[in-house]
Amino acid sequence: MNARRTSLIALAAAGALGLAACSGGTSAGGGGGATSGGGGGEGDGVVTVWHYFSDPNQVALMDAYKEKFESENDATVENVYVPYDQMNSKLVSAAGAGTGPDVVVFNGAEAATLALGGVLAPLDEQWAEFADADQFPDSVLHSVDDQLYAVQGYVNLLGLWYNQDILDEIGVEPPTTMDELEDAMAAAKDAGYGGITLSGLPQSQGEWQAYPWISDAGFDYENLDADALGAGFERVRGWVDNGWLTQEAVTWDQTVPFQQFAAGNVAFAQNGNWQIGTAESDADFAYGVVPLPLGDTGQVYLGGEGQGIGAHADDPELAWEYLQGTYLDVEGQELAPDLVGSIPSRADTAEADVVTGNELLDPFAQTIADFGASYPDPVIPPAAVADVQLTVGQAWSAVIGGQKDPQAAADEAVAALQSQIG
Amino acid sequence: MFLLPAALFLGLFSLFPLVQLVRMAVSDVTAATLNADWLFTGLDNIRRGFETGQTGPAISRTLVFVVVVTVLGMLVGFGAAIALRTTGRWSAWLLALMVFVWALPPVVNGSVWKFLLNDAGLINTVLLSTGLRDTPVPFLYDQHWALFSVAFVNAFAVIPFNTLVFRAALMTIDPEVFEAAQLDGASKWQQIRHIMVPSVRPTTLVLLILTLVYGFRSFDFIYVMTYGGPGTATNTLPFLGYLQAFVRYDYGLGAATSALAVVGVLVLAVVYARSIKREEADG
Repeated sequence: MNARRTSLIALAAAGALGLAACSGGTSAGGGGGATSGGGGGEGDGVVTVWHYFSDPNQVALMDAYKEKFESENDATVENVYVPYDQMNSKLVSAAGAGTGPDVVVFNGAEAATLALGGVLAPLDEQWAEFADADQFPDSVLHSVDDQLYAVQGYVNLLGLWYNQDILDEIGVEPPTTMDELEDAMAAAKDAGYGGITLSGLPQSQGEWQAYPWISDAGFDYENLDADALGAGFERVRGWVDNGWLTQEAVTWDQTVPFQQFAAGNVAFAQNGNWQIGTAESDADFAYGVVPLPLGDTGQVYLGGEGQGIGAHADDPELAWEYLQGTYLDVEGQELAPDLVGSIPSRADTAEADVVTGNELLDPFAQTIADFGASYPDPVIPPAAVADVQLTVGQAWSAVIGGQKDPQAAADEAVAALQSQIG
Repeated sequence: MFLLPAALFLGLFSLFPLVQLVRMAVSDVTAATLNADWLFTGLDNIRRGFETGQTGPAISRTLVFVVVVTVLGMLVGFGAAIALRTTGRWSAWLLALMVFVWALPPVVNGSVWKFLLNDAGLINTVLLSTGLRDTPVPFLYDQHWALFSVAFVNAFAVIPFNTLVFRAALMTIDPEVFEAAQLDGASKWQQIRHIMVPSVRPTTLVLLILTLVYGFRSFDFIYVMTYGGPGTATNTLPFLGYLQAFVRYDYGLGAATSALAVVGVLVLAVVYARSIKREEADG
C-alpha cells in the first residue's frame, strides 16, 4: 500500500467532509408533511428497499447488503427495482396514497424533491443518537428546511478513463492539461480511434457530465456568465467538429459511452468510479484513470445515492437498523468500493485497505481534493434543482447534437437559469 | 342496464383522469403541493408554456410528427393490405408476423429500432458497405433526421394494425367484381383505383382518425429513442408534458401542455364519432 495514496484518499474523504453542505439547500417552503416514523405501524419483519440500479455490479451491492442484513437480523429484505425515470413520480404518488417503501435509495441530488413531496421521513432523531454520526461529512447529509432526510453511504464522481494500449500506440502519456487531452484525442483520431466518449443526453445526466467542462471555462451557478458557458460549450462542440467525439453521444446515457470505451476503440471516456467493476469484466485492454484535466475553476460534482426512510414505512425502526447495518456500517461501506468502486463516505472506512489498495480509486480521490463540488450547487434553490438540471442538460445536448450554436444555446440557457435561480 | 359496466369503466378510467387533468392544468401544482390543496391559477400555466418558448415549437413538431405517422401509416398499411389480400401460407405467415410487431411493447420496439439506427447498426452498416453513403446517416442525433426517424418508427408500429383493418375491408369485396373487371381489361392499378379505394372509403375515414389520434399520443418511442433530443428537437407536446410534470415536477405546467394535446385528440374524437354515426346510418 502506498503511503501517499493512503493519505491522499483520507484527505479526499476529509475534503468531501469539508465541502459545504451538499444538495437540498437550507430553505424550502412547504415541507412534505412527513413526520418521524409517519405511517409506521406493526412491523412485518420485511424491509422493502426501492432502488433504480440495473447495472449488474450495482445490483450485486444491493444483494450483498440484503444478505448481510438478513444474516445479522431476523428480518427479510426485499430489493425492488424501479426505473430511474419513474422513481420520483412513483414515490410521490405512493406518498399521496399513504404508502411507499421502507427504505429509498435515490439520486442524492433529488433529496429536496422527495422531501418536499412528503416521501421521506426526517432522520434527525435517529441521527442524533447514532454513535458514528461524526464519521460522516456534511456534504453527504441531505437536509431540507434544517431537517435531515437522507445520508449517502458513498460518493461517486467523474474521472478521465484512458485506454493505455491506444496511448502507447500513439506515444502519449495520460493527459494532465486540456491541451494535452486535445492533442491526444487528435493523435488518437489520426490513428483511427475515437477520441472520447461521454453522455450528451438532454436531462440531468447531461448536466452532470457537462459541469466539469463548463466550470473549467469559468461558468458557475452564482454568476451565470453566458460567455463562459458559451466558451465551455464551444470547446466540446469543437471536439465533435474535429471528429474526436461522436455526435451520437446525445442518445447515450452514462452507461453506453462506457460500453463504447470498454469495446477498445476509443482513447478516453469521461465516466465515473462506479464503472470499475464493468471495466474489470468488459475491458480487454490495459486501462487507467486520471483526474479530468481541468483548470483552476474546474469542478467535478460529488454525487451518489442518498438513503432515506420512507415517510410511510411499515417499520421505520427496522428500516433504520437496515441503514445502520449496511450503508452506514464500516463493513457495509467496504463492500461499495469492492463491488462497485464507490468511495465510502465514512472517514474511517476511507482509510481501509479495500480503498487505499485500489489504484483506480486514487485519481478519483485526488479529484475530490482538487475539484470536488457539492451536487447540486447549494446556490440553486431546492425547488429549482430539477429545472436547472434539465435546462443545462438540454443546452448541452443541443450543442453536441448541432441543434444550436454554442453561444446561442448558452444565452438561452442563462436567460432561463436567471428566472429559475433568481 | 347493460351499459352500466362500460359507463362505470369509462367514468373511472377516462372521465375522472380527464377532469383531474383539467383541474391540474388551471392550478399551481408541484411536488410539494401535489398531495395538498391546489391553488387555482386560471390560464397561467398555458401562458407560461408559451412564454418560455417551448409550447409553440412543440406544437409544430407534433404536427410534423402526426403528418408523417398518418401518411406513412395509411399508405403503407393500404399497400400491404392489397399485397396480403390473397389467402395462402405466405400471406398468413406475414399477417402473423405483423400481429407480432403490432403487439410488441413500444419500449421493446423502440429499443430494437434505436439499435438498428445507430452508427454501427444494421441500416448504417448496409448503407456504408454498399457504398450508398460515405458516413453514417445521423438518424437519431441530427435535429431534422431525429424527428423523422422517430415518426417513421411510430408509423412502422401502426402499419400492422392498419393493414389488418384494411385487409378485412378488402376481403368483403365480392371476388366476382374483380373477375368482371379483369374481363373488361382493367389493369391492377385500375382495380385499386376504381374498386378497392371506393370500397374501403368508410373504413379509411375511421382508420385515418384513429391513426391521427395515435400520432398525437407520440410519447413512448421518443422517450426510448431520443429522450426529446438532440436538445429539444423531438420534444412533441406529450413528451414536453412529461418533462414538465415528471422531470421538473411542475405538474400544473405539464398538465396544461398535455391538455393542449388532449384538445387535438378530442376534436378528432368528435369527427370519429360523427363518421361512425354516418357510417351506421348509411349501413
